[in-house]
Amino acid sequence: MFEREEETVERVIQHLRRPVAIDAGLDARVMREIAQTPSQGRRAWPLWPLVAAAAVLAAVLFARPWNRNATSKADTLQFVLVAPQAASVALVGDFNDWDPARAPMQTAHGVWATVVRLAPGRYRYAFLVNGVEWRADPGAPAAKDDEFGTPSSVVTVGGRGS
Amino acid sequence: MILAALLLMTQVAAQDPRLERLDPDTRTAVAAVVDSAHGAGLPVEPIIQRALEGATKGAPGARIVAAVRRLAVDLGTARVALGTSASAPELEAAVAALRAGAAPEVLAHLRDVRRPPLTMALSVLADLVASGVPADSAAAAVLALAPKARDADLVEFRRAVERDIALGAPPGAATSVRLNAGALDVYGANSAANNPNSPRPRSRP
Repeated sequence: MFEREEETVERVIQHLRRPVAIDAGLDARVMREIAQTPSQGRRAWPLWPLVAAAAVLAAVLFARPWNRNATSKADTLQFVLVAPQAASVALVGDFNDWDPARAPMQTAHGVWATVVRLAPGRYRYAFLVNGVEWRADPGAPAAKDDEFGTPSSVVTVGGRGS
Repeated sequence: MILAALLLMTQVAAQDPRLERLDPDTRTAVAAVVDSAHGAGLPVEPIIQRALEGATKGAPGARIVAAVRRLAVDLGTARVALGTSASAPELEAAVAALRAGAAPEVLAHLRDVRRPPLTMALSVLADLVASGVPADSAAAAVLALAPKARDADLVEFRRAVERDIALGAPPGAATSVRLNAGALDVYGANSAANNPNSPRPRSRP
């Protein structure tokens, strides 16, 4: 959810930054109008609506309070399993509802890998090999409190100086 | 009364479609635990995830229900130890530390000596015990490091201890040696996980 919001904001930013096509004769017309307008009695436009609009826009684009915590401290982790004989490997854990269909891993010469972006927290996970065999991550701490009879591992994403 | 309770349970189950992966009886029981935890102000996502883990691993419904009930109780214990301001990740890590053998007093002490978040410190404590370090030694080490160490320092400490254990050092001795040697300053060069299977960060915020 947070990722989608950030992507949306990013798209808005890109849209606002896009150069606007302006008629080549615009400058000349504007300068002509200015020249024809008497300086005395010319009324200055009130600036406060523009300032307010800019402030709101800045708040929307840069403050983004709804996703600050979720994205600024998130970490991108690469999970790797060496399994040359495997036909398929999925990474399942607390970060993807333990759904094998959501995290199939890609292989290169028997080295299976995938990348996951995680918010701060402690996550349990395991590798599901060939859809039937559960394997813990040999390079990560084991989940000691495995209550379901199959091995799991844990990974922790810190929120400070990690 | 019974009808109201049943309606409530049905409503809770309907609130999270992920629980539909459970069989109806298990779903009802898990939904009741989730609702109870929610009412007590405890985070429910860890409970849901534990139920989904059980479902994906094909565990019997009774075992799943027992697991989520136990987790809910432990989350409550963790909150008592850490206080009501503890975040969900902190509570989840605290549950791991408690299950590893850390006393609730250790968690409370940790809260007093380290500014939040405590998630990494609690996790390192649990992981050290999982590596074979006696719970008392692990708690003492983490409490000693907690006031000043960064999260990354704690992780490196854990890796160094695990590396020493893998090389044959007794877990308790490895912990105290690393702690007394002031290893935080020196093991940076060796800190990268040499094991190709370990999860590693691609980028740091």
